[in-house]
Amino acid sequence: MLVFLARRIGVMLVTALCLTFVVFYLTNIPAKLETLAKTQAGSRISDSEVASWLERNGYNQPMLWRYGEWLGVAPGWTRARDDGTMRGRCYTLTGLAEPGAAPTRCGLAQGYWGNSTRFRAPVSEVIRARLGATGWLMLWVLIVMVPMALVVGVLAGMREGSRTDRALSTFAIASTATPEYVSGVVFIALFASSTVGLSPLLVSWGWIDGPVLFQGNARSALERITFWNFALPVMTVALYGMGYIARITRASMTEVMTQQYIRTARLKGVSFANIVLRHALRNALIAPFTVIMLQIPWLLNGVVIVEVLFSYPGFGWTLFEAAANNDIELLLAASVVAVLVVLITQLISDIGYVYLNPRIRVT
Amino acid sequence: MTRKTSKSTPLHRAARLFARECKDGTLSRREFLTRATALGVAAPAAYGLLGLVAPQARAQTPQMGGTLRMQMDIKAQRDPRTWDWSELANVCRGWLEYLVSYERDGTVQPVLLESWEANDDATIYTLKLRSGVTWNNGDVFTASHVAHNIERWCDASVEGNSMAGRMSALSDGGKLREGAVEIVDDLTLRLHLSSPDISIIVNMADYPAAVVHPSFTGDDPVANPIGTGPYRPVSHDTGIGAVIERNPDHTWWNEGNGAYLDRIEFLDLGTDPAAWMAAAEGGEIDMTYQTTGDFVDLFEMIGLPKSEAITASTLAVRFNQTQAPYDNVNVRRALQMAVNNAIVLELGYNDLGTVAENHHVCPIHPEYADIGTTSFDPEAAKAMIAAEGLADHEFELISIDDNWQAATCDSVAAQIRAAGINIKRTILPGATFWNDWLNYPFSSTEWNMRPLGVQVLNLAYRSGEAWNEAGFSNAEFDALLDEANGIADADARREVMAKIQQILLDEGVLIQPYWRSLYRNKRDTILNAEMHPTFEVRYQHYALS
Repeated sequence: MLVFLARRIGVMLVTALCLTFVVFYLTNIPAKLETLAKTQAGSRISDSEVASWLERNGYNQPMLWRYGEWLGVAPGWTRARDDGTMRGRCYTLTGLAEPGAAPTRCGLAQGYWGNSTRFRAPVSEVIRARLGATGWLMLWVLIVMVPMALVVGVLAGMREGSRTDRALSTFAIASTATPEYVSGVVFIALFASSTVGLSPLLVSWGWIDGPVLFQGNARSALERITFWNFALPVMTVALYGMGYIARITRASMTEVMTQQYIRTARLKGVSFANIVLRHALRNALIAPFTVIMLQIPWLLNGVVIVEVLFSYPGFGWTLFEAAANNDIELLLAASVVAVLVVLITQLISDIGYVYLNPRIRVT
Repeated sequence: MTRKTSKSTPLHRAARLFARECKDGTLSRREFLTRATALGVAAPAAYGLLGLVAPQARAQTPQMGGTLRMQMDIKAQRDPRTWDWSELANVCRGWLEYLVSYERDGTVQPVLLESWEANDDATIYTLKLRSGVTWNNGDVFTASHVAHNIERWCDASVEGNSMAGRMSALSDGGKLREGAVEIVDDLTLRLHLSSPDISIIVNMADYPAAVVHPSFTGDDPVANPIGTGPYRPVSHDTGIGAVIERNPDHTWWNEGNGAYLDRIEFLDLGTDPAAWMAAAEGGEIDMTYQTTGDFVDLFEMIGLPKSEAITASTLAVRFNQTQAPYDNVNVRRALQMAVNNAIVLELGYNDLGTVAENHHVCPIHPEYADIGTTSFDPEAAKAMIAAEGLADHEFELISIDDNWQAATCDSVAAQIRAAGINIKRTILPGATFWNDWLNYPFSSTEWNMRPLGVQVLNLAYRSGEAWNEAGFSNAEFDALLDEANGIADADARREVMAKIQQILLDEGVLIQPYWRSLYRNKRDTILNAEMHPTFEVRYQHYALS
């Protein structure tokens, strides 16, 4: 078990290293650095001003060297100011200016995540605050999605080919075949517009007080989550993930329902409800458990779209903003977080699988 | 509203001249007001010269208190003189004030100044400061503070300091010229210009000209909010929003004439107007920063009426003359002739503006001379292109992926194509477009308005200027522009301006299809928040009814 864990963590580190290097390379090609200089020092500055800005802020060194700076294996750049104080990567990150006061190396290895150029704040602070916001979104998505998916899957799978199965399967396939950027827009038009969709009807019947049923913009959820401002983003992400899990649950359920021991139980006269709940369900849930865990990284995709669509400043929104503004260190940190999320959920799914299915060993 | 307290100084000679022209009908009222107030005539006096009464603030009484929520981009703050977006300035307007302000009616009004006066050839300006102004840290506002700010503006060694170009008549070698600013007493300053410049006062109304405290060194005016205004920041999160509240510890010099709202919340909802719509429908915002295209009407439909500002803002579809084939004047003129500006306005901008004349001087500018424009003749255009041996050449028109800018360029390109000239369109995302905006051979750039016609010409078409994206270099043009910059007299300057505009037409510098009107949408209950031609959000005057 320990060997397995160590191997997994090793894979995680190597993946993170490769991914961050790719991100670093892509965000540090000269045209991108020019974009950065222009967003930082003025969008209409001249080429010589761009060059001087890049030079003064330590962006003119070889790319590999600067990647080393970020990792904390190469010493950070320094410049002496006219008044005798120092500026440099480590001086900025520690907030010191006396010569020699700051450490030579200040990268990931030393615990420095760098500063976000877009948000003018330490990356660790930005990521922590935004991950918190996404955490709430994901929590509600899972609370809505998992029970719904399991119920739909189990109901569809317990009598394969029945009318219930056909109807629920169609629903599951439709929901998983509709990407978030379609369902989100459809939801907004249906529920959050005062001129089209349901809201004008409800208003004319006097059922709702405000102009719209749900809020089409989730910004206010940052301060206080309510059913009205959070329902649409949660439903948009949950519906997409739900269909797939429901399909897997149904497949697993139908398979279990054809097993010999279920037939035996039926022949012995056990009631149908008892068969499903007592005998079939536990075995049928092994496969969906893995899928639910693997679905979480997938949901991060949807989170980017949904958070941008509903202006909810979470992790996905941050990723989008960082990419749009070439915020190098924020993008790197975001990719590290993404790698962690993917591999940790895989780890949980592997370990959980072992506990659910005694026939499997991890080694 | 801001108003001058007393006025005993004699009227500027030229102001009377302008008033006569205005009455004769050779000068529009708006032009008259801009010019007369720029020369130091108070707005009520300027209206008086015309025999009119200055319009008063709205009849509806503003209510004290309340919160306003407005959609606006919140960008990372930096040193005010390097601001490159009006939004950066708008956040800080509640505490960082200006010496003067440019009003919707084209006048220049005093804010931290009480009055100003120019000598006859516009080389010496005497500025009188308003008395009784204090900073919110308790310091008294004095002439030395203004001198310090002018010195900051003149420092061209700061990257992106766009004020340096606006203050060129006061600077020398990228620094404030020795003796350019003379402190007469605590409340009086005298500016000695190296050459006549009629735009120096209106330049001080431009958004990077926010007046900062001498202790301001850093690059974030939100972190260290020392200013003279009645508000202070509560929070500022880039890309998310900013909250401003009335400052209870500070007595504003203009107490009683503003600072009605308790709290202003700016929400950055991204660049997609559909998201703003959704927020407005859910009651999360009360007004937009700027609405364009179809959304102006859509917002009206959901109960946010529009507010319009007529401006000299435009889209310059310019050629870069340093690059082939646009180094050939016949090619430039031919492409101009293939485009009918009225059609571009209709298809590219929903007719929300007025047709322009390819020389970047607007009829609302004081010195505008009506010299006609390029003739529309697609057949001649095709013949000229063929005569230059470019019949098979494929031109390329580049634009940013912004909705109306792309549509305008599409419509320009469609007409060039209809004339039988090969052209392809390229649309670049905002992040990459600005990397090279000065050097694209043929592309479009959004230009915001300046109050005087000479101002944009100084910035965009003078040889060697930083923002000269047309690569235009013409000694005669430069000399005439220098001349125009020092002429206070209306007709005299217009004569020079006519020549300048003619050079721009003869040289085929740009296709400039229209002047934009600007819109924002806001709820009926918000007062004094009309759209401003230079995008100003002076929330210290906004109120709820």
